[in-house]
Amino acid sequence: MTPLPRRPAAALGAGLVLLLPACGGGKGTANPASDGDTLRYVAVGAPAAAINDPHGGIGNQSDLVRFALLYDVLTKPGADGATEYRLASAITPDGSLTRWTVRLREARFTDGRPVRAADVLFSLRRIHTKAAENFGRLQMFDMKGARVVDDRTLELVTTEPYAEVPRALESVTFVVPEGTTAFDRPPAGSGPYRMAGGTPQHAVLERNDRWWGPAPPTRRIEIRAVADPQARARAVVSGQADVAASVAPASARQVGTGVRVVRRSGVVMYPLVMRLDRKPFDDPRVREAVKLATDRRELLDKVFLGYGGIGNDLLTPADPSSPRDVPQRPRDLDRARELLRQAGHGDGLDLTLATTTSYPGMDTTATLVARQLREVGVNVRVTTEPPDTYWTKVFAKRDFYVGFFGGIPFLDVARVSLLADAPTNETAWKRPEWDAAFARALATRDEGGRRTAFGALQRRLRDEGGYVVWGLGDGLDLTSARVADLPTGPGFESNFVERVRLAR
Amino acid sequence: MTAVRVFAAAVRAVAVLFAVSVAVFAATELLPSDAAQVRSGGVPAAEIRERLGLDRPAWQRYGIWLAGLARGDAGSSLVTDRPVARTVAERLPATLTLAGCALAVAVPLTLALAWAAGTASRRRGPVITLVTVLAAVPQAVFAAGLVAVFAGMLAWLPPVSLVPADGSPLERPEILVLPALALAVPSAAFGAGVLGGAVADAVRAPHVTSAAERGVPRVRVAARHVLPYLAAPVVRVLAVMSGGMLAATTVVETLFGYSGLGELLVSAIGVRDVPVVQAVALPAAAVVLAGLFAADVLAALTERRRAA
Repeated sequence: MTPLPRRPAAALGAGLVLLLPACGGGKGTANPASDGDTLRYVAVGAPAAAINDPHGGIGNQSDLVRFALLYDVLTKPGADGATEYRLASAITPDGSLTRWTVRLREARFTDGRPVRAADVLFSLRRIHTKAAENFGRLQMFDMKGARVVDDRTLELVTTEPYAEVPRALESVTFVVPEGTTAFDRPPAGSGPYRMAGGTPQHAVLERNDRWWGPAPPTRRIEIRAVADPQARARAVVSGQADVAASVAPASARQVGTGVRVVRRSGVVMYPLVMRLDRKPFDDPRVREAVKLATDRRELLDKVFLGYGGIGNDLLTPADPSSPRDVPQRPRDLDRARELLRQAGHGDGLDLTLATTTSYPGMDTTATLVARQLREVGVNVRVTTEPPDTYWTKVFAKRDFYVGFFGGIPFLDVARVSLLADAPTNETAWKRPEWDAAFARALATRDEGGRRTAFGALQRRLRDEGGYVVWGLGDGLDLTSARVADLPTGPGFESNFVERVRLAR
Repeated sequence: MTAVRVFAAAVRAVAVLFAVSVAVFAATELLPSDAAQVRSGGVPAAEIRERLGLDRPAWQRYGIWLAGLARGDAGSSLVTDRPVARTVAERLPATLTLAGCALAVAVPLTLALAWAAGTASRRRGPVITLVTVLAAVPQAVFAAGLVAVFAGMLAWLPPVSLVPADGSPLERPEILVLPALALAVPSAAFGAGVLGGAVADAVRAPHVTSAAERGVPRVRVAARHVLPYLAAPVVRVLAVMSGGMLAATTVVETLFGYSGLGELLVSAIGVRDVPVVQAVALPAAAVVLAGLFAADVLAALTERRRAA
């Protein structure tokens, strides 16, 4: 028996019920609809990596989208793969293809100052010095030789003949005022939007009415970094956002009415990476056997839930220079077994395939590949490395692993992963004659001839290299029914959202 | 005598806080990879490491950080170069609001459940079962369940909690309900589980039983003979509970896309950003220690009263 009152418990319970509304409740799902001309864009981003400096490494898509709105770039990739001129109005080479004259259009920073050649050169030099953080993005230039010609003209110098300078300037050439050293707050830009408030993780941008280009249709854009893909999808489904970038295929499949799935084709790739300088992949027959034994259809259906296309081992199929006439590699188990037997693995072969959970489906890829290779007598043990350590312990280190590429142009992949001195030559693709042909192609003035040469290089890599590109997943964005004109190009182009419209 | 005890408790709290900062530093240090590697994206990063001072031995880096902190400078992020204090300040209000709401639910709920578990002999079985089950469910599972029921089936509340730009979460209070409940209910169940025993002991103490038998009104018995003895354990349990709840904001904020310090901490550990990790973890530890310190003071005071 307890001699004490029971009422306090009841009273506290009642108090609890009263407290809840004080902390919210009440209105239920009533979400304030955005006020007609505000686009609420939920982007991929880790809060601890949100930055204001557009010149180093840019890990968050949320930052990239914001920079593309705040800062002008010299050129950008167009939706059709051709170069679209932005701040640069003309880029012309001299006879040697090493000296390039860049003409700028008339533009102003949001603080009123004109954009001068000196600002552009300052920004390019800054990107160049941060090579260690941005995969040597402007490594083809000799920045000491570059100079300002006049207020709206500069001259750039490349270390070798380089016919693709307009394309090399397509990526993150964000221009800030000369002499900017503090990046704890966003520096002034000259892009289609200006910063109106918020933080790097949740920025509020307003249309820059003095921008040189056609006026963007939407007055305000809010960009919010949300790390969890499911939370991004739910934000659009519940009406709290208009666009959710990069959701998982499973989320795209589940959406109901009122939500649209925007597909950006050929963006996500989880190739199998085989190292050419170590056993057993130093034997081309083993590499070909793995390529032939992979069931590409099953991988596409189970990893990307069918959102995408089958791969033909071409590493940059979305690039304008990618060869179009290469027959699709079939699945041929008999031929794979025969090749393995010739290579001395007739009694079976033991392999370890490393993977991670960085991107949805990378782990499934490994499990499925292990099962598929078993059919040709290859016994695969799968190991899963956490996302934190995958990039340091597996990437560009292990002999056989599930890799990642996200819509990168051929020239960038070559610079970062294929040339003999590339910083992450993960397959150990070291072919002096391939490198020489690459340099020759870059010194070719005629664009058609250059494309053919680049195409031949990609074909050679497909046939002899260490990448099994089994499929290409679509980039999947969710939008509310009001959103139109979201970019659908591969890679960098999709971060330029200034033309997105909201229907009333 | 009391003053000495209070002083000793304060010294202990500061010493523990120092130990926590060393432990947090060491734990982040032991993880493979570092911020330089994160910034280079997998490419060898010696140059960045040197610029960030990550090539120095760990004890030196800790010393430099501590010296900065003594001057009131929490340092700059190793990944974004932004001042840590500003990054944390941007997210502090959101987490304080959420934690405040969660505490406003959790404290009364803890007390109610503890009282019910400690006093009601007939209903004790079911109450204790309920408390144990709720305490045993992981926060993430509980949060997912709340979303499924209240955002999915019933559609009463939003499934994500996006804080308005440049605004307070209180402008849209409905976004706070599910994350606050996801934090409060499991913590309250845990707190009640611990506190229930103390309540049971207090109400069955001989002087309480005899007071009741003398015919002293129940409420008076509770107020004069039971509650004073419970004050210190209650504050102690609530302090530990708030610590657990702050830790749980990492999971709950990430699940709901709520831009607070918990989400920042998860992300900062992922990119090995030690100064940011410290700046989030230490204040959380300080809250718990302050609570425990208050409990020590209370215990000293109540003991003196009892002795008098």
